[in-house]
Amino acid sequence: MDLNEVIRECLAGSQGAWETLVNTFAKRIFNMAYQFSGSRQEAEDRTQEVFLKLSGALPKYDFGKNFTPWLLTLVKNHLIDEYRRTKWEKTQRDDYDERVLAQTAHDGPEQSLVDKETKALVWEGLNRLSADMRMVIILRDLQGKSYEEVAEILSLPLGTVKSRVNRARLQLAQVLREYRGETS
Amino acid sequence: MTCERFEELLSAYLEGELAAAEKAEVDAHLAACPECAALLALMKDMTGAMAAFPEAEPSPALLSSLYAIPAAKREKRKFLRPVFDWLTRPALQPVYAAFTVLFVAVSFVLFHPEGRGIRKQFDLTFHRGIGTAEKLYAGAGSLKSEVGSFAGNVVKSIKTLDLLKGGEGNQ
Repeated sequence: MDLNEVIRECLAGSQGAWETLVNTFAKRIFNMAYQFSGSRQEAEDRTQEVFLKLSGALPKYDFGKNFTPWLLTLVKNHLIDEYRRTKWEKTQRDDYDERVLAQTAHDGPEQSLVDKETKALVWEGLNRLSADMRMVIILRDLQGKSYEEVAEILSLPLGTVKSRVNRARLQLAQVLREYRGETS
Repeated sequence: MTCERFEELLSAYLEGELAAAEKAEVDAHLAACPECAALLALMKDMTGAMAAFPEAEPSPALLSSLYAIPAAKREKRKFLRPVFDWLTRPALQPVYAAFTVLFVAVSFVLFHPEGRGIRKQFDLTFHRGIGTAEKLYAGAGSLKSEVGSFAGNVVKSIKTLDLLKGGEGNQ
């Protein structure tokens, strides 16, 4: 079903359309929140708040716009605002746990130990980045958005996004280097 | 090419976005700089790991609570409706109008550029009023004591008169 049609039905009060919307975006938003906050409990809270906000903001949605970037902008704003409001509480992330983070289809048993270790270090290292840098890495590298999509979600010029992604990757690489230096 | 310049171009190099001449410069730098070659290897390792990053599944409890949002909002609206209706009834409109006028007047006095003068004038008038009231009160106090002493004198005179009368009677 067309997404705009689903939204129209949501606005008309259809429970089925709302569930379709939840099924389409819940996993993506939950993972964005989980990668950003590092805590499963917090990710659940943030996801719930985002959907509450969405239900309030839906009547104001401009059908001329693309829904997904509009929604992800709402998610990004909420996550960063909440992070800034309560950042003193964010001292550590959940352990990177393969049982919690279910593997994607293309990660087979051949996944090397080094790759697992790198993922665990990236997971930990995200906590060392500022909110803006973390968000840009999540959108571009973890969520796999194009630079154009990231620019639309962050409302920034394309050139700024590209240089911010590069800086964020360099910072994360530095963190990884430190971790590896510490552990080796 | 400097190492700083290499770092600036690193993502573009990894993503194959560099022009041929710039790519050749980066390749030449990499061949000569083991530090930057190591950084490139780490960056490749890191972006590769991030591209295949595992995703978590939202719990069924979370999904259920998300499905229930519209119903919960409807319920809340049903609960708040009577309060909203009470607050928006026409009978309260004059009250809101009076509060608005009061608010505008207070804001004018507090925030107008000449508000200081207005407040000073208000203070002056207020204190004059208080002073007048105090004078009146003091005046009333002295009047009371004068009336009291006058009444006392009258009583004394009457008593003296009675004494005289009594004295005449005795004689």
